[in-house]
Amino acid sequence: MPISSDKQIKIKDSSFPKPFSNGLEFNAPSHGTWNIVHIGYAVPSAHQIYICADNCLRGVVMTAAEMGALDRFSSVVLEEDDMLHSGRLEESTTEGITEVLRKLDKVPPVVIVFPVCVHKFMGCDMNHIYKTLEERFPDTKFVRAFMDPVMQKRGTTPDQRLRKALMDIIPEGEEDRNTVAFVGCDMSPAKGNDINNQLINKGIHVLDSARTESLEEYYSIGSASRFICCYPAGRMGSEILARRLRRPLYYLPMDFNKDRIIAALELLGLDVDGSAVTDAERATEELKTLIADTPIAIDYTAVPRPLSLARFLLENGFNLKTVYLDGIDPDEEEDYNFLKEDFPELILHSTIHIMDRRPVRPDEKVLAIGQKAAWFEGTEYFVNIVEGAGLWGFGGIEELMSLMKDAYNTPKDIRDIIPRKGLGCSSVYE
Amino acid sequence: MNKVYKILPVYTGDVSGAASALYELGGMTVIHDPSGCNSTYNTHDEVRWYDKESLIYISGLNDIDAITGNDDKFIEDICYAAGKMKPKFIALANSPLPYLNGTDFKGITRILEKKTGLPCFYIKTNAMHDYSKGVSEAFLSFAKRMLEPAEKTAGINIVGATPLDLTNTVFEGEINANIAYGTDLESVLKAPGASLNVAVTSAGIGMCEYMKERFGIPYVCGLPWDSEYKDYRDVRRGSSKRYIVGEPVISGSIAARLKVLTGKDYNVVATTEITEGLLLPCDKKCHGEEEIQRALADAEQIIADPLFRLIAPKDVKFTELPHFAMSGRLYRKRIPNLMNMEEYIHES
Repeated sequence: MPISSDKQIKIKDSSFPKPFSNGLEFNAPSHGTWNIVHIGYAVPSAHQIYICADNCLRGVVMTAAEMGALDRFSSVVLEEDDMLHSGRLEESTTEGITEVLRKLDKVPPVVIVFPVCVHKFMGCDMNHIYKTLEERFPDTKFVRAFMDPVMQKRGTTPDQRLRKALMDIIPEGEEDRNTVAFVGCDMSPAKGNDINNQLINKGIHVLDSARTESLEEYYSIGSASRFICCYPAGRMGSEILARRLRRPLYYLPMDFNKDRIIAALELLGLDVDGSAVTDAERATEELKTLIADTPIAIDYTAVPRPLSLARFLLENGFNLKTVYLDGIDPDEEEDYNFLKEDFPELILHSTIHIMDRRPVRPDEKVLAIGQKAAWFEGTEYFVNIVEGAGLWGFGGIEELMSLMKDAYNTPKDIRDIIPRKGLGCSSVYE
Repeated sequence: MNKVYKILPVYTGDVSGAASALYELGGMTVIHDPSGCNSTYNTHDEVRWYDKESLIYISGLNDIDAITGNDDKFIEDICYAAGKMKPKFIALANSPLPYLNGTDFKGITRILEKKTGLPCFYIKTNAMHDYSKGVSEAFLSFAKRMLEPAEKTAGINIVGATPLDLTNTVFEGEINANIAYGTDLESVLKAPGASLNVAVTSAGIGMCEYMKERFGIPYVCGLPWDSEYKDYRDVRRGSSKRYIVGEPVISGSIAARLKVLTGKDYNVVATTEITEGLLLPCDKKCHGEEEIQRALADAEQIIADPLFRLIAPKDVKFTELPHFAMSGRLYRKRIPNLMNMEEYIHES
């Protein structure tokens, strides 16, 4: 199939895994997914320093400002003279970071350093910079992050590499067979998370890299006997962490397929709770009765596997019309092929195409799952979740059905909610 | 080192400034930059995104195209979008990587004009300046490419207005063209027929100078209280420890107005880039957090965006004047109509 240059395409006519061609891009103002600033703040006591030009800096520093966390954020602004003189970029970066750290009341134990595209393109000697900084501040761990969006269309994204860099500083601890750690995700396990619930019920100590109270607790992740990652952007870092510490990793994003959920539970040595299966099925049936043929739209920011969700909804008789996404995770190939065969009219809709720049209020009630779907559909009836919301398994399905029911019954203020950055983080703007 | 910001945010950057300046003029502004970079603009630097459509796009530049200087894809993508969206003109804005590799934007605009038949122009940005430079460059480039002599009118032109500086400010009086906030292309094209230009921000000066030279239109600098078009620099002010921090034309206008109304002297601490000829001897230009902090060290009173509290002396009398280009959405509901001074100046 040819790659489409249109804003939307029926799945039967689409190509895998890239349904849409690259072109000029529009950016919808929905920002609930976590960015690199939010992710960095998940490490307690860490201070973030960005070294970049004004315009690039503005987005991240205002993220910090809106979190009410400017006291853990500093910057070194690059100017033309940093580009034009040999060695000036290294000097400005090294001396700028040094000056920031000397001005702080106390040198932080962890500093996350974000050089940018320019450092890469100018061949900046970052190793020398880190060596110098580590000599000057021997008690500080420097996390080697990057903010280089120019790389994100090929290879790994800044988000993936930041998660890896944050896991790189976790020291190897003595293995505690009673401890399991969720790593690489931003959303903590929700009420409807079968893995977390069963681990706790079995008396297992569960750590979560996104929610530790102290740096000591964050470092204690290195004692976990098993790691679980439920978010694709965290997979690479989690795999490297597990390999380094020689412990098993289970990569298990929320899936809506019953057989796959059961297989994953068995892989973890957990039970398949028959009543949980029944509860999920009942909740699904009740929701179907309530919303009947109401059109539904979903997007890729809501859940890690949107095509799995799409298949689930369609197989259960829901009137799913549109999936908003720009690419398809290769892990979703089976669901993609199934949908293409059994539900060929399903619409795949790009979120960055030049044509759609304003929400158009729908003529009929549309239920959306995810902020981008809500924005593009212009609907106030939406499930406000990102990154899977910590849901997993049959409990996750039951909770999602409950969230859909609430969303169907109670409209939300999209203008207030959707532009806020980092769902679940502090957001202090007016 | 004036490049170091321990705690203070930077102002909106020049690329966002350029996009903001042209937002309402019916063109297509393309920022040659990687994916993700435009979310800064639509999240923190633009108040109209929900309500007023505009063709602001990024090229989605990737590393290979940047390294190999692959301009063909950039040109093809713009032609495709122009064919679909039918803009009135095309404006191209630069960013750090194309700036570093010396992308020939002027050459690209010539190719685009031939291929699309639309007026195209280049805005000299590189993401390393503040918004005032970007707004200024955008208005100047627009004027050079788009403005032609127009029928004479009695009204004046407001020049240099964007929501970055004048988020909730409304100008009254006989206005021929507002360039360019709460406006449209048709009215802006009538600008050369006006009798007077009023530069309401430092970003409007470049366009006013150009229009003076090309169309013979004189200009004054300053906010036009009571529809009186006076130059704020004509009001003499002496040194004091009362400071107004921010963009120089707006800050200078407020200082002049306060001098006239109260007899008190206020000095401007200009914290945005374009200041040439805009400050009185008692005023200061500051670059970077440390310089600003030093300039405010002896302050008795400060009128500034609330974020400047972070570096202000502890017990200073502080009057909050939220500025969208500094604090973005943080205090947006408190941004006043600058023409209603009683909204934001108390007990001065």
